[in-house]
Amino acid sequence: MVFWLARASLRRRAGAFTGSFLVLLFGAVMVMSFASMLDTGRGTGVDAISSETLTTMGSVVGGWGMCLVVFAVVSTLGLSVRQRATETALLKSAGATPAQIVRMIAGEAALVSVAAAAAAVAPSYLLGRFLLGLLKDTGQVAGGVAFAFGTIALLVGFGVTVGSAVIAALWTARQATRVSVAVSVIGAATGPVRLTWKRIVPAAVLLIGGLYLGVLTVTAFADKGPDAMPVAGQACILASMGLALLAPGLVRATTALTGRLLHGRGAAGYLTVQHLRRRTGQAASALMPIILFTGIGTGILYLQLIENRAVAATGYLRSNEQQNIQTLNLVVIGMIVVFACIMLINTLVASTTFRRREFAQLRLAGATPAQVLRTVRTEGLVIVATGTVLGVLASAVTVLPYSIVRADRWIPDLPAWVLLAIIAVAVTATLSAALGTAHRMLRTPAVDAMAP
Amino acid sequence: MFQQGMVTPPLASGQALRLDAVTRHYESPGGTVRALNGVSLALDGGSFTAVMGPSGSGKSTLLQCAAGLDTPTSGRVLVDGVEMSGGTEAELTRFRRNRIGFVFQHFNLLPTLTVLQNATLPLRLAGKRVDRTQAVEVLTRVGLADRLDHLPAQLSGGQQQRVAIARALVAGPRVVFADEPTGALDTRSARQVLALLQEAVRIDGRTLVMVTHDPVAAAHADQVLFLADGRLVGRLAEPTAAAVADAMTRLTDQAARGRVAEGV
Repeated sequence: MVFWLARASLRRRAGAFTGSFLVLLFGAVMVMSFASMLDTGRGTGVDAISSETLTTMGSVVGGWGMCLVVFAVVSTLGLSVRQRATETALLKSAGATPAQIVRMIAGEAALVSVAAAAAAVAPSYLLGRFLLGLLKDTGQVAGGVAFAFGTIALLVGFGVTVGSAVIAALWTARQATRVSVAVSVIGAATGPVRLTWKRIVPAAVLLIGGLYLGVLTVTAFADKGPDAMPVAGQACILASMGLALLAPGLVRATTALTGRLLHGRGAAGYLTVQHLRRRTGQAASALMPIILFTGIGTGILYLQLIENRAVAATGYLRSNEQQNIQTLNLVVIGMIVVFACIMLINTLVASTTFRRREFAQLRLAGATPAQVLRTVRTEGLVIVATGTVLGVLASAVTVLPYSIVRADRWIPDLPAWVLLAIIAVAVTATLSAALGTAHRMLRTPAVDAMAP
Repeated sequence: MFQQGMVTPPLASGQALRLDAVTRHYESPGGTVRALNGVSLALDGGSFTAVMGPSGSGKSTLLQCAAGLDTPTSGRVLVDGVEMSGGTEAELTRFRRNRIGFVFQHFNLLPTLTVLQNATLPLRLAGKRVDRTQAVEVLTRVGLADRLDHLPAQLSGGQQQRVAIARALVAGPRVVFADEPTGALDTRSARQVLALLQEAVRIDGRTLVMVTHDPVAAAHADQVLFLADGRLVGRLAEPTAAAVADAMTRLTDQAARGRVAEGV
């Protein structure tokens, strides 16, 4: 019965699942292609050095990618479950037990994630082969090593994708169904997301971990030169994830700080404040990927730039190994940043599409389309400004310590355009996703858009 | 409950709403749907008109065209003597702001705004000064003085519809349109809502046009207009619930016979 309901719901609302599917697909590709390095490393006739490089690449880099994928999947599916609170409440009032609803939502997550993981196999094979080619070209893996894509890639790929999707769905669905029918109908309209200990504790662990790695860079690794790079690099990943977990609280703080300023900005500013105040969860799920994108992007790119400048200062030509590290860093960072960017766009498109009815109600109450778009733009600007400031803060635990170690100064003497470019990408992605979707919503006449 | 002059003085009578040969056609896969087929009518200021008809007769389309929420295919709509120019959505919105209030079947309150914020939203959107005292007065009149800071989800259906009435009245429009305003309410809430709408006409001199399928609701009006297949087919002055019900039965039977004759 429940499986049938899950399938019917998937078929009727294909659009709503496209976003989750895309995030799961890109996540699965990232995890699978790095895991295929482990398959390749276990092949017969692979020499010890090549094997070790491949294993490190697969487990360390793949591991970080996996963390990010789990994070993205949990937040994307959490958002989609929260957006369906009204439907959940209706199902409950129609007699569905909480357990049936939880099974239905988990069933949907399982179907979507299995489909995404299956679709990821072919692109992962190609990307894995490209990564191996890169490792061979830079001389880190012997030229004779044959590419393998087998059990580990498939097990890890399917396991991480399907596992994190189902667990995220179960967890969010259980929270969503725990409250009574009456309260969940009210909750559907107000949707409060509180900063609970379940968020604060892991956030604190991640933030302290990030700071600790930053401190470790300037103490234990102070005279280790480029060997401090991985330590410093991981600091900003941890710190960004920690801040991202605190997003609901950060949205509330931002609302309190900017409320007075926005109130003077006409109807758009007024509506933005009310939205941020009452739809904290929606704003928070957009804030998270902005923090991750800016934090990790800024941290790792400047890490590499500091390293390049330090090598140039020695007057020697860059060694082959240093060249390799740079190439790998850029590939890895490229993938992570692209992934965070996809997650950002997906979140904004999903949460803006969800507001179709609200936009129609605004128009019926006397808002012109331009006023609706101004409101969406103001909200987007507040969130992206908050996210980039916090992201830059998170990147500091990588950039400042590594600059001390390699250049003997806190603020690296490096061009600001890299930072400006990252901020420009964040602002462009946020505004174009939100405004583009809102623009699409406005094409339907308000009276028709009210139809459920 | 309504005292004269609390919101705005009664409006002078004279033609408040006029439709000249309004048609509205839709293109659908099955061919052209003629939702409105040349409807003309003129309503005096301070009048209360109910519009009835079998489902699919075009009542909601009529209301939406008259209220500037939809654009007629041909014909003219004049509110307060000013022609509604079928321009962009923004132009229509600005036209509606000063002249038209709308009450929907499903309330359409913004879920993120409180009762007071919802009631004053049209003023904010129009860039007008929000007079809190006046807004509280209107909300007191609809019986929600103690609910100002509640969110719509914390109110009953009847209470939400009363907020929606306050919102429709707050900008002092000449014409108020109501599309099945009691359709989602229980009998007692429906009576309260109808009493409030009636008082807006009798005391404030607003012009009210209400689409309904309920003969009891229609009996609150000064006259009932009957619509079938996109045309006005009848008028009943000083309606009673029984007379309205009779007229509707005849109309529904005719429509059914018409469909049989056409072989639909």
